[in-house]
Amino acid sequence: MKVNYLPKNRSRSVYFRRVLILIVIFVSGAMIFSLLNKFINSSVAPVWKVENRVTQAFSAGVIFFNSQKSLVAENMMLKERIHSLETELFVLSVEQKREDTFLELLGRKGESNKIIATVLTRPPQTPYDVITIDVGSNESITTGSKISMPEGSLLGTVSAVFSKSAQVKLFSSSGEETNAVLERNNVPITLVGLGSGNFRFELPRDIVIEVGDRILSSDVGTRHLATVGEVNIRPTDSFKEILAKSPINIFTLRFIFIEP
Amino acid sequence: MIYRIIGLVCILTSILVLPYWIYVPVLFIGIVLFPFFWEGIVLVFLINVIHGGSVEFPAMLTSSLVLFVLVVLIVMLPIRKRLRSYV
Repeated sequence: MKVNYLPKNRSRSVYFRRVLILIVIFVSGAMIFSLLNKFINSSVAPVWKVENRVTQAFSAGVIFFNSQKSLVAENMMLKERIHSLETELFVLSVEQKREDTFLELLGRKGESNKIIATVLTRPPQTPYDVITIDVGSNESITTGSKISMPEGSLLGTVSAVFSKSAQVKLFSSSGEETNAVLERNNVPITLVGLGSGNFRFELPRDIVIEVGDRILSSDVGTRHLATVGEVNIRPTDSFKEILAKSPINIFTLRFIFIEP
Repeated sequence: MIYRIIGLVCILTSILVLPYWIYVPVLFIGIVLFPFFWEGIVLVFLINVIHGGSVEFPAMLTSSLVLFVLVVLIVMLPIRKRLRSYV
């Protein structure tokens, strides 16, 4: 006897078959991509190198067509900036010399052979506050190597190393916890990353803190990690919430230093 | 079929060179536009791998973006049948 199934049942079986296919792709995809992780990253790095070159060439072309008036204004602004930075550098170098002498006396002078790297991808291209750099195991970079700016502020640590590239997880990466110290009163804190170069932490309400205060790393080098941007306090709370931001603009990173 | 391939190439290119606030919406537009867009799962794994998300096998399955794409794909299966692209 011929049995006629209702079309509704057939469509339901098609639906479940497709759901099953999606789940199979989901699980097998995760396995395949975790195995091919290094290969995929090594293959994509040259594409980003070419993109960087094209972007630089294009921006150079745009500058060529800038008007004379805007160039004069920019020149004046840059001269003022150089002057202020020179002053800042002088003050810093005096302080740095004092700190170096102190560390030498303690026998903790760090010997660091820094490697300079070009940033291939940066936020907002990457959604997780992770940057890709153009040096990898070919330059003896290892997982956990610290990344800093040429000015000295710490940025993050190397999270994955490939043959000619590496991924760096910034301290501001969402959920990332970093030990730090408040410069104003040497209070140890734990910075929690919020993404896009932002941090948050809590302090007892009695501790004095103001917008613009510097937050330093907890290691011997005490390098700049973040700057206080906002202090939120409610009358009923015993703690206050502090929002801080990275001292540099992570969206325009071009060069960084690596300490292997 | 040709539109599907063109769409796939566009999403792939945007993942490689554009900010995430462009390529993530473009990916979801692809999921809505193309029927049974299983390639979306592959593309979201690619985003995780090249842009520094979790890459270990069990952790990859719990990535919020990957799970969200899977849920949207499953939800879109019955909904897409009822959608009409013509008046």
